[in-house]
Amino acid sequence: MQGQNQQQAYDRGITIFSPDGRLYQVEYAREAVKRGTASVGVRTADGIVLAADRHARSPLLERDSIEKIHKADDHVGIASAGHVADARQLIDLARRQAQINHLRYGEPIGVESLTKEVTDYIQQYTQTGGARPFGVALLVGGIEDGEPRLFETDPSGTPYEWQAVAIGGDREEIQNFLEDEYAEGMDLEAGVALALRALASVSDDGLDATGVDVATVDVETEQFGSLSEDEIAERVTELELGGESDE
Amino acid sequence: MSNFPDLPGMKDLDANPYEPELASFDEMQAGGDDDESVVKTGTTTIGITTDEGVVIATDMRASIGGRFVSNKSIQKVEQIHPTAALTLVGSVGGAQSFIRTLRSEADLYEVRRGEPMSMSGLATLAGNFARGGPYFAISPILGGVDEDGSHVYSIDPAGGVMQDDYTVTGSGQQIAYGTLEDRYEDGLSLEESRELAIEAVHAASERDTASGNGVYVAEVTAEGVDIEGYENFEGAR
Repeated sequence: MQGQNQQQAYDRGITIFSPDGRLYQVEYAREAVKRGTASVGVRTADGIVLAADRHARSPLLERDSIEKIHKADDHVGIASAGHVADARQLIDLARRQAQINHLRYGEPIGVESLTKEVTDYIQQYTQTGGARPFGVALLVGGIEDGEPRLFETDPSGTPYEWQAVAIGGDREEIQNFLEDEYAEGMDLEAGVALALRALASVSDDGLDATGVDVATVDVETEQFGSLSEDEIAERVTELELGGESDE
Repeated sequence: MSNFPDLPGMKDLDANPYEPELASFDEMQAGGDDDESVVKTGTTTIGITTDEGVVIATDMRASIGGRFVSNKSIQKVEQIHPTAALTLVGSVGGAQSFIRTLRSEADLYEVRRGEPMSMSGLATLAGNFARGGPYFAISPILGGVDEDGSHVYSIDPAGGVMQDDYTVTGSGQQIAYGTLEDRYEDGLSLEESRELAIEAVHAASERDTASGNGVYVAEVTAEGVDIEGYENFEGAR
């Protein structure tokens, strides 16, 4: 009885380590990320690709109201997986930090610096009583000094840099797919194809073009841009990812 | 993020982007500016860009009310960044505080981001601080070298930041500009620019009562900042 109570205490207090050195609430937050639909990021020689599964739970839901990929600044996009509401707070933080950098230095913020502003903020919610960690992981992708950079944030507040990465549901399977298929020196179009194929690899009945969101930031223009529904549908058809049950 | 409670030890994300990170201007505010007793540099400071780097030259006199020489060997150019230097022009206390603040901001930026600040970033930051800060009337020159080459900026007390190929600030400005307008041309070497800058400080020292007592010369290249002082102009050449 006594032992069980102690066990529950590590479980509940965000600021309390378990005897084996774990922060259970942070681990539970990672589970919350897994419950979200997947997002994929791919770094190519000439830009960053972000792709997200945003299938709707009802045909009556307006697709555009499902926010998975966000523009943080002209040169940076952010994709999320997990609690959308938590993600929105972090995206707003990122947008503000990006503008503060413009005000302070008259320059666009680096992708690494922006990621670390966000992860430092997330970390504070793993070490403060009364707070709950962010139940969301982010992919922060953009151009820094002419180079594409792709970072992941996780609920512990640790930043990771990737060549290609998946977050959210089916992460492991998609990551395995990326590890098998990723090639250095791919162009942006190949990156879009890889991201779509990665999302399709875990879908039983093919990819629904209206249920994915794709955005890129290319080195040439250093501008974030979303692909239209038609552009995505075109590529899904071309890559034969649609499956039979669609349309 | 004003909609979140401030947690203990949390970084203030709503911090004013126009202020130094380590001290707010409110904390730094140090009483009124007593024009009669504040030590001023009077000053002639000159910055010239070349393909090889930047030359900055300053005189060495500090004065009170422009009438009494309170120091004859003041160094009015200081390194604030691995490849940039700033001149002291105006209130000595204000300028010294300005230099300390910029230096620590530039250091913080570099250790956090793993690369030094660009000159345009440093100039923007300096302009922001000059505009809002308690630095009295300062009008320094920022000179430095980065990936894009050599840069010289003049910064005015209202925060105006102006880039130029060569620039002069301080009470001896008009006299020094006479020398520069006569002899400056595109494509001068670092060595030629150094001689020209010294010559211009010399001219200002002869006729401006608030400038004089020798010359400090800073050479800023991609390798770093090299500053030396000379009590007489002959020794500097």
